[in-house]
Amino acid sequence: MRGFKRGKTKKYEDKLKMKGTHLEEKNEIEFTEEIEQNEKLLKEIFLNCSDLEYRWIEDQANMRCLIVYINNLIDEKLLDEHVIKPLLIRDIPNEANDLKNKWISIGTTNSSAKLSDTVRNLLEGHAAVLISGSSHVMTVSIPGSSKRSLDEPSSEPVIRGPRDGFIEHISTNISLIRARLKTSKLKIEYMTLGELSQTRIAISYLKGIAEDTLVEEVRARLLPIQLDGVLDSGYIEEFIEDQPYSPFPQVHSTERPDVVAAELLEGKVAILVDTTPFVLIVPMTFWTGLQASEDYYIRWPVATFVRWIRFLFINFAIFAPPLYVAITTFHQEMIPTNLVLSIAASREAVPFPAMIEALLIEIIFEALREAGIRLPKQIGQAISIVGGLVIGQAAVQAGLISAPVVIIVSITGISMFTIPRYSFANGIRFLRFPMLFLAGTMGLYGIVLGFLGIILHVTSLRSFGVLYFSPITPLKFTALRDVFIRIPIWMKFRHSIKPKSREEGN
Amino acid sequence: MRMGKGMIFLVFVILCGCWDRTEINDLAFVTATALDLSDDGNVLCSLQIAIPASIEGGSRSGGEANQFFIISAEGKDGNEIHRKLQKKSSRILFLSHRSVIFVSERLAEQGIGDILDIFTHDPRNRLKTYIMVVKGGEGRNILKMNYPLKQVSIEAVKEMEISGEDVAVTLRDFFMAQASEGVHPVVGTIEPDVHSKDTDKEIFNFAGAAVFKDFKLYGLLNDKDTMGLLWVTNKLKTGRITTNLHKGGEVGLVLSQAHSKIITQNLKNAVQFKIQLEGQGSLAENTSNLDINEPKNLKIIKNELENAVRKQVQDFLFKIQKKYKVDSVGFGQEVYKNYPDKWAVLKPNWNTMFPKATIAIEVNLTVKGAGMVHSSFGSQDEGDEK
Repeated sequence: MRGFKRGKTKKYEDKLKMKGTHLEEKNEIEFTEEIEQNEKLLKEIFLNCSDLEYRWIEDQANMRCLIVYINNLIDEKLLDEHVIKPLLIRDIPNEANDLKNKWISIGTTNSSAKLSDTVRNLLEGHAAVLISGSSHVMTVSIPGSSKRSLDEPSSEPVIRGPRDGFIEHISTNISLIRARLKTSKLKIEYMTLGELSQTRIAISYLKGIAEDTLVEEVRARLLPIQLDGVLDSGYIEEFIEDQPYSPFPQVHSTERPDVVAAELLEGKVAILVDTTPFVLIVPMTFWTGLQASEDYYIRWPVATFVRWIRFLFINFAIFAPPLYVAITTFHQEMIPTNLVLSIAASREAVPFPAMIEALLIEIIFEALREAGIRLPKQIGQAISIVGGLVIGQAAVQAGLISAPVVIIVSITGISMFTIPRYSFANGIRFLRFPMLFLAGTMGLYGIVLGFLGIILHVTSLRSFGVLYFSPITPLKFTALRDVFIRIPIWMKFRHSIKPKSREEGN
Repeated sequence: MRMGKGMIFLVFVILCGCWDRTEINDLAFVTATALDLSDDGNVLCSLQIAIPASIEGGSRSGGEANQFFIISAEGKDGNEIHRKLQKKSSRILFLSHRSVIFVSERLAEQGIGDILDIFTHDPRNRLKTYIMVVKGGEGRNILKMNYPLKQVSIEAVKEMEISGEDVAVTLRDFFMAQASEGVHPVVGTIEPDVHSKDTDKEIFNFAGAAVFKDFKLYGLLNDKDTMGLLWVTNKLKTGRITTNLHKGGEVGLVLSQAHSKIITQNLKNAVQFKIQLEGQGSLAENTSNLDINEPKNLKIIKNELENAVRKQVQDFLFKIQKKYKVDSVGFGQEVYKNYPDKWAVLKPNWNTMFPKATIAIEVNLTVKGAGMVHSSFGSQDEGDEK
C-alpha cells in the first residue's frame, strides 16, 4: 500500500511536467492589429465548424468590427440587445477597453491578446468582439445553452428535507451551495481538466474549517490529471482515490446540495464538475456511506433507530446468503430441529448444491436489477412481474430452487437498498459473491476468513489521509456521537473529521 | 510479490474447502433412539428418522403421510450397531438433532454402562440429548407411537420435558451425576398410556423417575415420589399438592415457588440431615366448608398441606433409603461439600451408612392467595343464609 502510494506520486509528477509543456505551445499565438488577419486565425482554428457565426459591423468612419460566437452556446437575445445594438447605434471604438467600459452592458467580460484564451471563451459561451486596429479581443459571456430544471435527485430521495438537486451545470450547482452557505469563507477555485472537453472543475471548501493541508492535497491530486474528456465526476474519482483496487468508494459522491453544505461544514472539500450533477466530497469514511441526509432532518431517536436498522441490514446484505449456505451445508447441527426439517423438506427436490443454488439466484437477482435500471421505464414493470413471478414462484414450484434461498436472497436485496449511498451500496453488493464462495467451500470458517479480510481491508483504507474506518479505528469517543447514535443537533453540531489520524495511522 | 500472495490465498481456498460439505438433503435426521434388550442378550438399537418431505405443509403432502420411519439393528457394541444402521440408511445418519434416547426397563436393569460409552466419545452425539427409561415396555414401541399433536412424536417428548414438572435428565446430567461424589443419577421414565388403546392415536405418559446406580436400574419412583425428589433436590418449579382435611373435604394448592435446603449436622459417628422445604402458592381447590377468609382456617389448611408434603417426602425417602438403598438425592454429596474430611472417612461405608442415616423434614408453606374464589361454593351459600 505504501509502495503503491510512492509510485503514484512519481507518476503524478511526470504527468504534471508533460501537461506543462503541452499548454505552453498553445499559448504562443497572439492576435495582431489586422482584423482580417485575426479573422483568418479564428477561421483556421474553427475550420469546418459550421456552428460558428461571424457578424461584421461597419460604421460611417469605416471602423470595422467582427463579432464571433457559436450560435448554439449563446443567448441570442442577449447578444442582440447588449452587444450588436450598442455597436450599431453608436460608433465603434478604437480600443477593446472602451468597448467594455462604455458600450457593452454585460457583466462578465474578458479581454486578451492570446488566441487560446479567446478560443476557450468562445467554447464556453462567450461572444468575441474583434475591433480593427486592436490586438486585444474582448469576449462577452452570454451563455445560453439549455439546462434542465432543478429536480429532486432520483438516487437520494428523502421524505423530509430539501428537494432540490444538482444539475448538469456547474454555475447553477455552485449557486445552490452558495444559497446554503452565505459566507465569504466559502471558497470556489476553478480549474479546467480534459484535453478536449475542457471541463470546468471547482474545488469548494470553507476557509478556516477545512484543513489547509487537505485542500492542498486535493489541488495536488487534481492538477496532474490528464484526460481527453471528463464526462462525469466518476472520471475524476478514479484518479484521486487512494486505493483504486478497493470495492469501497473512497470519495463520496452526491446529488444533494444540502449534503455538500453539511459536509463542507464538517471541514471536507467538495469537487464540482461541470456537466454532471454528481459532486465529489473528500475525505469519505465508512460511516458516511451509512448516513443519509435525512438522518439530520428527522427527530434524533428515530434517526438513531434507523441507523441501527442500516447497521443490521448491511450485515444481512453481506452475510445472509453466505451464512445460509455455510450452515445448511456444513453446520446442520446449528439449526433448530424443526427449522432444519422444514429446510430439508424444501430442499428435497432441488438438484443443486446449496451454494450453486444461492449463486444462481443471486446472479439472476443482479441481472434483474441491472435490467431494471437499463430498461425503458415503460418496460420496467414487465421485468418486475417476470422477475418476481418466474423466479419467486415458478422456480420454487418447479423444484429447481428451494424457497428458503429465495427468501434469503430477497432479504439481501431489500437490505441492499437500505444503504443510503449508491456507490457504497455497490461495493457492499459486490462483496457478497466472494463471501458466498468462501462460505460454500469452507463453511463458517470461510465466513470468518472473509469477514477478517473485509475488516483488515476497511481498517487499512484511507481517504485523503483519513482512515476509512475512523472514528472507530482509531477510536475517538467524542465522534461516536454521530456514528452509532445521532445526538440532538443542539448538543453539538456535526463533528468534523480531520486528517490528523494520518500521523496516528502511520 | 502481490501476485504470489494472491496465489497462496487462492490455493488455500481451492485446496482446503469442500471435503466435509454435506447437502442438507443428503442427511437422515435422527430424532430419537431406542435401546432395547434383544432375546439373545444383545442390544437392539432403533432409530427414528424424520421424513422431511411430509413436514412441508399443505399441498404436497395430501393425506396422512408418514412423518418418520424406523430402522433397527442388533449388536454387541455401539460402534458395530452404528455401522449396521448406516448400511440400512441411504443417507448419512445425522445424530446432532436427536432429542431423546429411550432405554427399555429390561436393558436398564441389565446395565447400560457399555452401551452409553459411545455417547461420551463421538462428538456427533449431543450431550444435551435427553435420556429416559421406558417403564414396562420396549423403547421402539415409543418410537413407533402415532402421536397426534406433533409431526415427530419425539418433539412432543422434548417439549414436555422442558415444561419442568418432570424429571428431565440429559446425558450430560446423567454422566455428571455418575461421576460425582456421593450422588447417583436419576432418569425420567415414560410409559405408553394404556387408557387410550381403543383409538387410532396413542399417547404417552410420564411416570416418575428411575433410580440408577452404577449404570444399573435399581428401582422406579412413582409420580408422588418424583415430586418429593424434585423438591428435595431443589429442582421443582411448579406442582400441585392435594390433601384431605380431617374435617372432610379436599384442598389443593398450586405451587408457584419451591425451594429446599439440606442441612448436614455433623456428629461423631454418624451424620444427621435436616431437609428444609419451602413453598409458596395459592389455593386452587377447596371442597371443604372452611371459610378461607378466616386466617384461622387458612392456618389449618396450611398445616394440613404441610403434613401432606411431609408425608409425601417421607414416602420418597423411605423408598430410596430402605428399599433401593441408593442415594439419589445426594446426601453424600452434601457431606462431601460441607465436611470433606468426614466424607473421606464415610465414603467407603456410605452404601451401608446411608440407609441408616436420620433425615428430618421441615416443611414451611406459604399460602399466598386464596385463589380467585375466596371460599368454596358450599360455604358461601351457608354464609348467605346466615
